[in-house]
Order: sequence, then C-alpha cells, then structure tokens
Amino acid sequence: MALLEFTKISKHFGGLQVIKDFTFEVNQGEIVSIIGPNGAGKTTVFNLITGIYTPDEGDIRFEGKSLLGLEPHQICQRGIARTFQLLRLFLNMSVRENVMSAAYPRTHSNLAQIIFRTPGFRKEEDRIRTLAEEKLGFFGNRLNGTFDQPVYSLPYANRRQVEMARAMATEPKILLLDEPAAGMNPNETQEITQLIGELRARGGYTILVIEHDMQVVEGISDRVIALDYGEKIAEGTYHDVATNERVIEAYLGRQHATRAK
Amino acid sequence: MSASQLSLSGRMSGVIERWNALPIATRFFGLLVAAATIPFLTSNDYVIRIAGNVCLFAALAVALNVVVGYAGLLDLGFIAFYGIGAYLYAILSSDQFGIHWPSWLTLPFIALLGVVFGLLLGSPSLRLLGDYLAIVTLGFGLVFAQLALTLDRVELPWQEGVVINVTGGTNGIVKLDPLSLFGFQLSNVTHYFYALLIWLGIVLIIVHHLNQSRMGRAWRSMGEDALAAETMGMPTRRLKLLAFSCGAAIAGVTGAIFAAWQQSVFPQNFSTDVLITLYAMMVLGGISNLGGAALGAVVLSVVPELLRSPELARAIFYATLTLGLLLFSKPRRNGPIILISVIILGFLLRWIVQAAAPDLLTPPTIKVAAESISSAFDRASQQFGILVQGWILFLKDPLLPGNIAFVILIPALLGLSRMKAGVLKLILTIPAIYLLIFVWETRFAAEPAVTRLLLVGGLLVVLMIFRPNGLLGKRKIEIV
Amino acid sequence: MEEFLAQLPQQLVNGLTLGSVYALIALGYSMVYGILQLLNFAHGDVYMVGAFIGFGVLTALLPESGPLLPSVFIIIAMLLAAMIGCGLLGVGIEWFAYRPLRNAPRIAPLISALGTSILIQNAIQLTLTANYRVYRTEKIIPLAAGFDIGDAHISATRALVIFSAIIMMIGLTYLVRRTKLGRAMRAVAIDREAAATMGVNVDRIIVLTFFIGSALAGAAGVLTGLVFTRVWHTMGFNAGLKGFTAAVVGGIGNIPGAMLGGMLLGIVEAFAVGFIAPAFKEVITFVVLIIILLIRPRGLLGTTAIQKV
Repeated sequence: MALLEFTKISKHFGGLQVIKDFTFEVNQGEIVSIIGPNGAGKTTVFNLITGIYTPDEGDIRFEGKSLLGLEPHQICQRGIARTFQLLRLFLNMSVRENVMSAAYPRTHSNLAQIIFRTPGFRKEEDRIRTLAEEKLGFFGNRLNGTFDQPVYSLPYANRRQVEMARAMATEPKILLLDEPAAGMNPNETQEITQLIGELRARGGYTILVIEHDMQVVEGISDRVIALDYGEKIAEGTYHDVATNERVIEAYLGRQHATRAK
Repeated sequence: MSASQLSLSGRMSGVIERWNALPIATRFFGLLVAAATIPFLTSNDYVIRIAGNVCLFAALAVALNVVVGYAGLLDLGFIAFYGIGAYLYAILSSDQFGIHWPSWLTLPFIALLGVVFGLLLGSPSLRLLGDYLAIVTLGFGLVFAQLALTLDRVELPWQEGVVINVTGGTNGIVKLDPLSLFGFQLSNVTHYFYALLIWLGIVLIIVHHLNQSRMGRAWRSMGEDALAAETMGMPTRRLKLLAFSCGAAIAGVTGAIFAAWQQSVFPQNFSTDVLITLYAMMVLGGISNLGGAALGAVVLSVVPELLRSPELARAIFYATLTLGLLLFSKPRRNGPIILISVIILGFLLRWIVQAAAPDLLTPPTIKVAAESISSAFDRASQQFGILVQGWILFLKDPLLPGNIAFVILIPALLGLSRMKAGVLKLILTIPAIYLLIFVWETRFAAEPAVTRLLLVGGLLVVLMIFRPNGLLGKRKIEIV
Repeated sequence: MEEFLAQLPQQLVNGLTLGSVYALIALGYSMVYGILQLLNFAHGDVYMVGAFIGFGVLTALLPESGPLLPSVFIIIAMLLAAMIGCGLLGVGIEWFAYRPLRNAPRIAPLISALGTSILIQNAIQLTLTANYRVYRTEKIIPLAAGFDIGDAHISATRALVIFSAIIMMIGLTYLVRRTKLGRAMRAVAIDREAAATMGVNVDRIIVLTFFIGSALAGAAGVLTGLVFTRVWHTMGFNAGLKGFTAAVVGGIGNIPGAMLGGMLLGIVEAFAVGFIAPAFKEVITFVVLIIILLIRPRGLLGTTAIQKV
C-alpha cells in the first residue's frame, strides 16, 4: 500500500478547472517530484492534500485512510507537513519559537499545567526545545547563533531552512516541499539538493517536491510526475520525463517538441 | 557620534532597551514592590484611588492583549465581559435578589461564567474574519450596554403582571457586599488597592506563563499567519475560543472586584468610552507587550487626572511646551530662538493693542486666595498664570476670538508638522506657538473637561504617528 | 396582524428615510475600506460636522425677516457647503492621521482614527458648546407638505431625503462604473501596487476617495438635520456605528453592498421601533446583523476573495 494515494482528483475554481482527473501515489521512502509550467496546478495539489482546499471529485488517502473532510491541523497530526512556495513563517517570532510552535500537535500540557508550571510542563518544554534545536541543527552550522533572532532578520536561504525545520518539527511521515530551491543562487541550489537527499537518508522522511529547477529535480528524484493544465502528462524517471515530447511541448512549445524528436 | 549628540528619542530607546534587558522576574517584582509602597507614601485617598484604577485597567489591558495582541482577534466588545462580571457580582452579592454569596464562591463562579460567555461570543465569530469579527463583537458590546440599561423591567411571558428588575436600569444596582477574602473584609480604598495590585500580579503571572508555553506560541503563530499555523498542526478554531475565554474570564473577575470596590454598578461604567480608553491603553504601551499594557494604563489613567487641577494643568502645559521646544527642535538651537521670539511677539502684540484699543483688554482673572491654596506649588502656578495672562492678549470677551484662534490653530499645527524643516518653518512656528498659548489661556483653561478629552485624542493620534508600535513596542512586520 | 399591515407602509417609509442616511454614511466607510483596508472611525464625526455646516448655512440664510432665497436654493446651498466642507475635512484627516501610517501595523491607524474622532467631537464641543442645535426645517419646507401613497404619508422632507440619496447613489455608481476615474478607483481597491505600475496616481485616488466618501457623509448630515431637526456634537457616534454596520452587512468594500446594507438596516430599525419597542432597537438591529453575518460571513454582497496560497 502506498503511503499517499491521490486518486482521480478534480478541482475547479469558478469557471477554471485547475486539476483534472489527476492520479498518483507516493510510496514510503521515495522522493517524488512534481514538475510543470506555471499555473499547472502543482501548489493546488499540495493545498488539496493538506486540506486547505476540498476536491470536487476523487479521494486522497494517507496510510490507507481518507483525508477528505479533515481540517488542516488534523491532517498535519496524521503525519503530513509542508513548506510554502512563498514562505509563510511567523515573522515576528524568533527562529527557535517558529520551530517550537510546530511541535504543538505532539504536546499535551493543559492550561492548568501551564499556569502552574508543573514538572510535567517543564519536562515537555525542555523536550520541545531540544526537538527544535535538533531540527534546526539538521542544517549544520548555517543557522547557528540565529536561534533567538526574529525570523524577519534572516536572509532568504536561511528562512527557507527555518521553514523546513518547522515542518520537520511536526514529526511527520511525509514532507511536502513547495519549490524549495526557488530564488536560490547556484551554490545554495547545490546545498538544497544535498539537503533533500539527507532528509531522506538521515531523517527517514518520504518527500514530495514541487520544483522548477531541473538540476535539483534530476539530483533528488526517484520518480518525476509532469503536470500541465491540471492533467498528468508524463510519469517516470527523470530521464523519461525530461525527454517526453508532451513535457517539452508544455514548457517550450510545439516547435521544440518536434525538433527534439 | 558622541553621547551628547544622541537625540532624545534615541536616548529614550536606549533606556527602554536596558529596561527590557533585565530579567523578567526582576522587573515584575520590582514594579510590584514599588507600587505597594504607594499607600505608605501618601495618605491621600484620591491618589490611592487612582492607583487602584491603574491596576484595574492594567489587568484589563493585559487580558485584552491576550485576545488582540497574541491571538490577533479584534474583539471590540471586550468591555462586555468586564461588565458581565461586574453585574454578576452585583446580582450575587446584594439585595437585588436577596442573594449574598460569599466571595470565595462568587469569584471563581464568575471566572467560570466568563469562560462560558467567551465561548458564546467566540463560537459564532469563528467563521468571521478580521473586520467582520470586529463589528460583531462591537455589536455584542453595545447589546450588553443596552441590556444593562433596559433590563430593569423584564416581563416574564409565563407569569402575567410580574415585572422583574434585573439590572436596575440607569440606576444600576447599589449597596453591594464588600469582598471578603480569607476572613478579611475589604473596607477601604487601601484594601481594594492591594487586592487589585495582587490581582494584577496574578494576571500578569498567568498571562506570562501562558505566553511562554505551547499555548502562547500557538496563539502568536495564529496571530502572525493563521493559515500557516493551522497547516502546522495548530487547531486555530479551538485556539481562538480559548483566547476569547481566557480574556473573558480575567475581565469578568476584574469586573467583579471593580463592582465590590465601587459598591455599585451602573451602565455608564461599561460604555464605549471605557472600551476606547482600554484599547488606547493597550496600543499605547505596545501590543503584545505586557509591560506596555500596564504602562498604557498608567499613562491614560494618570494624565487625565493630572489635568483636572487647573494649577497642575497649567504647569504641565507650559512645562511640556517649553521642554518640548527646547528638546525636540531640530536643530537644537531653534528651541530657545522660538521661545524668545514668541515672548517678544507677545509683548509686541499687547503693546499694539494697548495703544490702539485698550478697552478690549482685561486684567488677569486668576485670583490668588492666599489662605485657601493648599500648597506652595499651587500658589506658584497661579502667580505664573497671572503673569502669562498679563503678557498675552487677554481679552474682555474671549469666546469668539478664542474659538476662531482654535479653528486656525489646528490646521496651522497640522500643516507645520508636515512641513519640511527650514527657515520658513522656523518663522511660522513662532506665531503658531503664540496662537497655541492664546487658545490655551482663553479656551482650554476655561473648559478643562473638554480640553482633557481633546488632549487625549490628540495624544493618541500623535503617538500613533511617531511610534506606531506603541511606547514599548518593538518594530513589527506584518503579512498583509 | 391587521395592525401590522396597516402600519407597514408608514414604517417602510420611515425605514427608507433612515436607510437613505445610513446608506450614504455606509458608502464612505466601504469606499475607504476598499482602498485602504482601514476602518475610518472618524467618519461618523465627519457626518456630524456636515450637519453643523448645514445648520450654519440654514441659519445664515434664514434671518428673522424670512428666507433669503427660495427653499430649493437654500437646500442646495446647504448640501453643497456640507459636501465640500466635509470632503475637505476628510481629505485633511487622511493626510494627517492616516497617511503617515500606511505601512504601520493595522491597529495603529485604527487608534489614530479613534483619536481623531475624539478630537473632532471635542473641538466642536469647545467651539460650539454641547447644546444641541435645531434645524428650522419648517421655515423652508412646510410641515404639511407631502403626499400619500395608500396608508402611508410621505412628508416632503422625507421624500427629499430619499430622493437626494438615490440621486447621489446613482451618481456614484455612474462614476465608479462608467468613468476612467471610477476604473482607477476600482483598480486601486483591487491591487494598489499593480494600479501604481499601470500609471494610476494612487495617492490622488486615495484623496479623491476620501473626498467623495466624506462629502456623502456631509450630505447625510444635512439630510438628517432636515428630517430629524436635532444636531449635537456626539450624534456622529451612533450614526457612524450604524453606517459601519450597514457597510459590513452589505459586504465591506462593496459599494452596492453599502447601499443595500444601509437601506436594510434602516428598515430593520424602523420596524423595530414601530413594531417592537423603541428601547430595544439597538439590540434588535445587532441581532439581525449577527444573524446575517452568520449566514453569509462576508456580508450580503461580499465576495469570497480567493487567496492564492
């Protein structure tokens, strides 16, 4: 049984059909990439999985159980975490607090424990703190020393890392990364490719990635799925998809497709 | 850049930073202890009453901070929770219905009901965003005020002819039982001040603990970006309800203590004016800043009181004017220049009018009754007032010119504040300052009640423009 | 039931009169919110100033000897003076109290608005005292004038109010939908930055929006004075609240919504006063408001903005 099953999903907004009869699945331990031109509906897929939108048709199953009708926070509790295309960090909170906040679903202190600062509460706070530092530490030295700074003071690449750490702090089984390499220079892009590989190797996460940068896609993917106008147009290894005629047409236009033939 | 060249606002920020850097326990206990000494420093009940009021409003401002500052919910009906708590206490501890519950029962009960009402208001509001939430909560607050006014004649539909007086209408409910805690009955201002101080301390501790926990982090995350928070596993709907309930519970108990202190409740105690003052206090101090909320309470409770006494008001006005000019003029030397020029202008104008139309002028109207003035300060202030009124164009019929001057003054001040610094601005400031003094002497001093409000309004606007994050607030970024 | 039906037309007329005033005030709120996402709490006080300006003009043109001009012209003069005066006041408020706070956290302009509201109210009290003024409407519009529709008697004054409000709303709708200026206003409301890059002078549009919104409030003030005759310095608070509520009910930021919301609110209030109890009119009005918002959380005509996540 696949970890995540996305079956015959359709979604429209007003008159615009954004996703059409889209089916795919992700298996435990895989790194799968979704590619496609802008507006193809890739982020919408993430929004459907995480419960921000409800599909018009189809089913989404995680570990065999349907996610339809669940609130986003419940879906997160089931073990699905994501990052956002245009970073959505808690800007005025510190780096550490951003990551600690995501540990909420795995914690249990109630109001009384909090107000009276019981030993149970203190122990849990320590655990969350350690967890946050561990997740932030995943990125090596890059974020050292910044833990208490407000997030808005961090440079862009570091912010992306904090957002990933935050997603990891929910202790998920699968990570959804939305354009993790967006806006990065070649060096940073190299790093991200490495990092995503390590996320699986060291962290044991299954990863679903939306990406535009083909170098990254090539470097990380077990499988690639191509989307255009909400429909799946190709699926397979990076090489298969990158040389697929329809994919080339979607990105570069018909001329290039026929030339590639 | 040498220390002497640092601007005043820069120096102020430095002091604030050093204050914020102290460990929080130190700041907390330091202030509490300092406040606790007030009844020992003065036996004036009036002062202690003001101090008590400050604690009252500080507690409310802190509770409001949880709802607005942390959870980001614009609750404009917050005052209703305060009022409900007060009226509940009144109903449970008076002859209104002959119920006289003991305090150790009433207070927790009111806290519990506060939670219930918080949930009641919170639930329908869950679906509403931002400004819609504001209007619904505002409506709730107004409905409460209306009900307090009109529920003095409640007819039971199932019992003919029986009319129950629930809230006492405009007359409120009076002769409430005093609070009685741990066998000790609170009977005078000082007792209630300490009770309120302790309550404020408790509230601060509770809110601080909440803030530094998964609860607080979740609330603040929600306030920053509710969608991201929800996606990261935080149940935003439940959290919103919790924020409402906590705020409501604290406000309710605060209201109960207030009712016991005042020994009565009236609908006017919970009018929109009070709500506005509360919001102003919170914003003044800096949202999401507990110390700031308390500071805001201090400023907005104390300043209007200070302005009540004409002697004190006069002293404050001229002191602020002079200090303001000397300290905030850019460049510094403009300050004395303006001051001296204004004085010269005054003499000039008076000399001209004296020569041309002496009947218009009148001698100063302040009388110094040497025996009845309570302090040297008051007398000195009055002497100074006489001096100024002798210098300025003090007219026999000041009403119309005063009003006209006032109407000219406002756009003049506004325009000046937005002008670019330069010689022209310097020159224009001189008659503007003269006009300001003129209007003060002829109109403001004559109507202190209105002036107080005017100054509060002006203070709010000016403060927001120069420090939009409040006095103690830190720079904030917002996702729009 | 019979009595209800008998009273119905009259209460409808009352409701429409009240609603016209509320709609005009609501328009100002909605327009400003649409472009700045700002709740202009000082708007109610602009309305109040309009009422006073109208009073001033009326008194000036109504010496003991009798009206100096034919009634029509007096009314037009009052409206024009109030609209221009309030328009300028609104522009001034924007320039001083809101513009410096364009990039501040959202609650800062809210507090600034509150402060401005307090300032205006007390400035009026200081200069004109807290006594209420009375419009001597009967001198320019005979009390008996009016006409009957069925069981309802529409006095000339009420007809004037409803008629003027409708004319102004038609004018505004034409402006917003059919003119280049209106298009610019809509563009700024949708996306300020994009409009700026398209060559729209955003600041000027904002100033204009404030001017128009405040002018409408000023007109509402004059009309209120004519019908209800009493004006006083705190009248802006309640009316502003109602106008704000109406704007929200209709869908804040939405111009037809503001008109609809205003009319609806007026009718609800008139019905509450006429059929239930005047004492409970505020309560009833807000209960209705809450019910509407529960059913349609974005207001009657508010659209759900589809956010790109």
